[in-house]
Amino acid sequence: MRGVVHKVPLYWGLAILLFMLLFPFVNDSRSTLILLTQIFIFAIFAMSFDILLGYTGIVSFGHCMFFGIGAYSTALIFNQLDATLPNFILGLVIGILLSALVSYIIGLLSLRLKSHFYAMLTLAVSQLFLVLAEKWRGLTHGGDGFTFSVPDIFKDRTSFYYITLISVAIVFILLKLFTESSAGKVLKAISQNEYRAEALGYKSLQYKLIASVTAGVAASFSGSLYAVSLRFINTNVFSIEVTLDALLMTMIGGLGTLAGAIAGAGIIEFLRHYLSELAMIYPIFERWTIILGFLYIVVLLGFPSGLAGFIKKFTSKKGRKEKKKREVGKAA
Amino acid sequence: MEVFINLLVNGVSTGLLIFLLAAGLTLIFGLMSVLNFAHGGLFVWGAFSGAWIFKETNSFLLAIAGSIAIGMVLGWVLERFLIRPVYGNHVRQLLITLGGMLVLSESIKIFWGPNPIRVNLPAWLEGSYQFDGIIIIKYRVFVIVVGLLLYLALWLLLSRTQIGLMIRAGVLDKEMVQALGINVKGLFTFVFLLGAGLAALGGALLAPYSGVVFAEMGMQYAILAFIVVIIGGMGSLQGSALASLIVGVAGAFMAYYMPDLSLALNMLLLATVLLVKPTGLLGEKGSAV
Repeated sequence: MRGVVHKVPLYWGLAILLFMLLFPFVNDSRSTLILLTQIFIFAIFAMSFDILLGYTGIVSFGHCMFFGIGAYSTALIFNQLDATLPNFILGLVIGILLSALVSYIIGLLSLRLKSHFYAMLTLAVSQLFLVLAEKWRGLTHGGDGFTFSVPDIFKDRTSFYYITLISVAIVFILLKLFTESSAGKVLKAISQNEYRAEALGYKSLQYKLIASVTAGVAASFSGSLYAVSLRFINTNVFSIEVTLDALLMTMIGGLGTLAGAIAGAGIIEFLRHYLSELAMIYPIFERWTIILGFLYIVVLLGFPSGLAGFIKKFTSKKGRKEKKKREVGKAA
Repeated sequence: MEVFINLLVNGVSTGLLIFLLAAGLTLIFGLMSVLNFAHGGLFVWGAFSGAWIFKETNSFLLAIAGSIAIGMVLGWVLERFLIRPVYGNHVRQLLITLGGMLVLSESIKIFWGPNPIRVNLPAWLEGSYQFDGIIIIKYRVFVIVVGLLLYLALWLLLSRTQIGLMIRAGVLDKEMVQALGINVKGLFTFVFLLGAGLAALGGALLAPYSGVVFAEMGMQYAILAFIVVIIGGMGSLQGSALASLIVGVAGAFMAYYMPDLSLALNMLLLATVLLVKPTGLLGEKGSAV
């Protein structure tokens, strides 16, 4: 029975991937492709956050800093050097190394303490990065930001669509393998009962550090793609709204399910697109952040397991019914 | 010398404003181990409603009273509808109070628009005192006096009254107090409202002090208050008072001599405390781990 439950989402995943691969042939409107690209980028970001919150039970309120580190590394490299593919790799690697270092240090300082400390320290450090980006005007141009040019392959909307789509698929597979590895299983154990995991001999600090660094690296990758997609950067990438996006996406999609994070990213980005279009007609929707805030609270209070939990409940009910039917059939 | 005294006065008055925010935070945490991320939202609501009432009625005392009332009403709503359903679940408390913070600071923009608002000093607090060429701004002295009086009042409440005794006992051992037949949830609501009122008051006092209020201010000051609460020790009122003064005074001197490093200084203090003594300067409860 268990095997069936596992295989069904795999078929679904492949079907969705195939659909998305063929999508530009069906509909190549520029705005739709841009929206979908945005969804893919934020799906990677939301998955990275899910590794922390969903799989390990660590609350981070400063996840935007890794997104911002990746985005700024890429943007600054393109701004200072030529817009070539090797330079993109260079920016990507710098962002990833920096994120790994920062997440490691923050984790080392606070992960052996209660969950509040990690939440607060990440929030405070991310604000520090925001101030740094605003004050270091010579390099970042502060809140005004700067534009930069990117390699030609990224300029074409269709090819960039495919790049981000394949990135989502690769990150999904890598993170899935990570969560199903032995380290991932220990993380799941820690999130459920840390004392018991420790009593079994697992050093929970080390495993939490692994989760923290993994999440930081994946977030940095999504930040790099984000900078390339906009060809512009300003200090907004370090704002608390970016962290809130990740929170909303993972909560609405369902904690502890990478696919849920992708679905959540889709829902939030679609909603944002739609609401900001509505804002042109009804000015009240200019404050759509508050609508997302209320949605977040409602989901948290009413549907703590999100969309994925809802679907799982539904499919497992169906599965049980089928099993019952079969048993009844056997008896007859 | 003049610079030194001025910076000291600035630092102490800022420190006491941070203390008003941190006091509620640390007591709420100590009693129910709820880390209230929405506390900064109450602070910014206090600042805006105080500024608005002052502009409409031209009475500073009415502005302060009104902002405290609004802060307490919002605090009650927060406690009743957001925090009560998630008692005992730390992760969900963290998540939901952040949602509360978002809604509170966004709703500021609905009521007062997205732009910063200018706030004037009340006429009777304008101007400055002069001693031997040293100029001290009146309003800062006022903030220091109010802050010290409130600290004294809080200290008396906690150490001399029946309800203070119950709060202190609750901070030490919640289950035991409950077993003795004391309504800890009611006590918690009281502390939460007290903290909300103090936060709103802090905001209302800050508005004329900084001259301008903006919606993102809540998060900035909340982060300062968190840093203070960790440095002082979570759940310790004296610790928060001490750490507020340290952060306020150090911040004032850094802002004068090395303005770009003033936020980094707080982070350095925070990192040191987390490394050396995670329970904070005066925290004894060993609740950090």
